[in-house]
Amino acid sequence: RIMPVRWSRYNPSYLEPEVKKESLQKPLEELTEEEREQMELKAVRPIKAAPPSLSSSVFSDPMISKFTNMMMKSGNKVLARSLMSQTLEAIKRKQLEKYHKAPESEKETIECNPYVIFHQALKNCQPIIGLSNITRGGKTYQVPVPLTDNRKRFLAMKWLITECRENKHRRTLMPEKLSQELLLAFNNEGPVIKRKHILHKMAEANRAYAHFRWW
Amino acid sequence: MAAPAYPAWVTRWVSGQWRNKKRPPTLRPPRALALADKVANRREQSTEATCITEMSVMMACWKQNDFNDVPCAEEIRTFYDCVAKAEKERRNQNEDTLSSRGNLPSSKVNKLLKRFPQITHYV
Repeated sequence: RIMPVRWSRYNPSYLEPEVKKESLQKPLEELTEEEREQMELKAVRPIKAAPPSLSSSVFSDPMISKFTNMMMKSGNKVLARSLMSQTLEAIKRKQLEKYHKAPESEKETIECNPYVIFHQALKNCQPIIGLSNITRGGKTYQVPVPLTDNRKRFLAMKWLITECRENKHRRTLMPEKLSQELLLAFNNEGPVIKRKHILHKMAEANRAYAHFRWW
Repeated sequence: MAAPAYPAWVTRWVSGQWRNKKRPPTLRPPRALALADKVANRREQSTEATCITEMSVMMACWKQNDFNDVPCAEEIRTFYDCVAKAEKERRNQNEDTLSSRGNLPSSKVNKLLKRFPQITHYV
């Protein structure tokens, strides 16, 4: 189905830019029919300008960029990106310290890659079921409702950032607070995981209202 | 001869009251006797909530394991599958064919009827 787009000013004939290097390095014979047609189409049609947040480097991660954008205040992307890199560095430092202090048997269990820790922490923080307000007969009920992937990711990131901004000591810097929270979430501890459990408990308490949903 | 006592209907018949022009009208239609080009707006019966059994199974598992996600991974996976299936079905279902209950919604029926109106005039 074609979705009507509100703000895009491009002519519909413009194609999206291709950023991944792997798809361009494939030899001609390996391409399927559809991909060959796609290549021919690209030779004829105009292509949209690539947005600055889209990059083809191996170090770029869409989740990390999303998180950086959410941390950004009043358009200060430089500051947000530096905070993010400092956070990842802090995570790496803490994990390396733990690694060098641990005995030989436990050295393999300690995860040192900050990207892996970030992704796992986010996955642990994502709620599985959410609550939505549904009005029936004048009263609003909190009904347990399944969430989409985007919504889950957004909620996990939002909880992490609000937790770091509000419930910590005023003088601690953001990278330190964030690295602490991420490491706790990686081990399924910490206030963000607690918040997720509270949401699950409320959904479980309200499971009788689940029939109010119509989707 | 004395006045012959005919039954009442004979007098009425003879007086011509039942001849065509003087019969009271058999039908008094409040509206025009033709099919309208629209259907009444019927409230669409809302579909039921999907995936409730999977959700309740998952919640029972949570209650047993103190809301820990790791031991409940299987139930959570089935819940996600059910949700994805319901979402896909809802996306495919929203077309101009009959809904699951076999009825078209009144808005779509009205659109179709407008395209093929009832001809009430002579051509």
